[in-house]
Amino acid sequence: MTQLLWLWWQGYLTVRLRGAGIERLLNRASQVGVALFRVERLTSDVVLVRMAARDFRLLRPLLREAVNGPRISVSVLDRHGLPFVLRRFRRRSFLGVGLGLAVLAVFYLANFVWFVQVFGNQALAVEAIKTAVEDAGLRMGIPRSSLDPARIERKLLESLPDLVWVQVKNRGVRVEVHVVERDEAESGEQRAGHIYAKQDGLVTELLVLQGTAQIREGDTVRKDDLLISGMYYDHQGRRQYGAARGIVKARVWYEAVGEASLVRWEPLRTGRRRSRYLLTVGPLTVPIGRSLPRENHLVTSRTWQLYLGTAMAPVSWTRLDYEEVEWETVPVPAAEAEQNAYELAWESLLAQGVDRERVLVEKRAVESLADGNGIRVTVRVEVLEDIGRFSGQ
Amino acid sequence: MRPAVRQKLKRRFAETLDLPPSVVLDQAVIHIFGDSEVKIVNHKGLVQYSTACVKTRAVQGLIEVGGSELEIAFFSAQEIKIRGRIRQVMLK
Repeated sequence: MTQLLWLWWQGYLTVRLRGAGIERLLNRASQVGVALFRVERLTSDVVLVRMAARDFRLLRPLLREAVNGPRISVSVLDRHGLPFVLRRFRRRSFLGVGLGLAVLAVFYLANFVWFVQVFGNQALAVEAIKTAVEDAGLRMGIPRSSLDPARIERKLLESLPDLVWVQVKNRGVRVEVHVVERDEAESGEQRAGHIYAKQDGLVTELLVLQGTAQIREGDTVRKDDLLISGMYYDHQGRRQYGAARGIVKARVWYEAVGEASLVRWEPLRTGRRRSRYLLTVGPLTVPIGRSLPRENHLVTSRTWQLYLGTAMAPVSWTRLDYEEVEWETVPVPAAEAEQNAYELAWESLLAQGVDRERVLVEKRAVESLADGNGIRVTVRVEVLEDIGRFSGQ
Repeated sequence: MRPAVRQKLKRRFAETLDLPPSVVLDQAVIHIFGDSEVKIVNHKGLVQYSTACVKTRAVQGLIEVGGSELEIAFFSAQEIKIRGRIRQVMLK
């Protein structure tokens, strides 16, 4: 291996010897100090040899010596090694300079952090962690030498209390931030705080596990009212302040409105058809034919893509078919319109977080719109749900 | 002095002084590496080379390496290294 590396450094040739009695030439070559590498017999009269480029001149006198014997022809098939690479670069100096600059640029750019990746997060969003990481001083483009993983880890733990463990690993131009989040139960136990109402409701069930209840069953509470305080007295009568824990179930009301029209616009085809074509070459699109307004035309398109073998060429041909239509109104049955409005109202309720399974009472009010062309459905539902929201201090 | 007599004397000399015969008698040394490589040091020239057989001359006689896909990995005045599937090494 070392010998081959040295050979590459010096430059070597692949030489083809053709003729009879090649063995004699090889012996003579070795006697004058030519070392041969990877001698391959291709056919009965052809042998390939590799030799140092500077030894090639020693071969010529040997061929002249062999004039009286069988004739052997010599031809250089290939040149390898550093001198030949350099010679190629000498002819293309800009390529060499460019390559050198590229290598230098790679080495230079490898001194900076280009990627920050977050692993192990579940509840916390990657963006939130990345923002905290940036605030801690780790941002894209900073020199790797200025990276202080211990300081970043400490700052992250300070700025994100939901994290219990952070490790910053430097992987070249990439920095990995491995995190472990605090368990939900663990965080509740550790952080002191109160339970507040997350919405209005009528309290039907109250169970205090820790803390002091500030309401009673049957109370009506408003959003953000204090339900269970974190203050309590332990069995020795000492006042304690910890995390309030408990369940506050309440009847909660939600309301949503859905509207639907009593008429529907439907297209009526007149039978007139026009076509238009688009020729697309790369980013350029050339329209062929007149464009027609979309208000009274339905448009369908079909595209043919040019393929060169299996490769997709950046040339396509599109046909746009315009069908002229006239819009006419079709009456919608009142029951259908009401159902549509009702479904819209429920979509709004679901978006508010209402669980259909937990609905206790549902009320629906139907009314006509002022212009008489539509219908409005108001849906009010009563749901039994836990309205407690823990807020740590 | 006849060469055979000279060789005999040299052998006796090497045995007496406990010297390596390959040095004193100028004999070829053959190294065999598994079934894939044979190195012959101190050969006296290549006689025949094909992909099935490489014959080299030595003081001891003719060294014949038989096998398949044979290739001369290195060849110099002192050393020849043969690679391939070596099946036999014979001294004739």
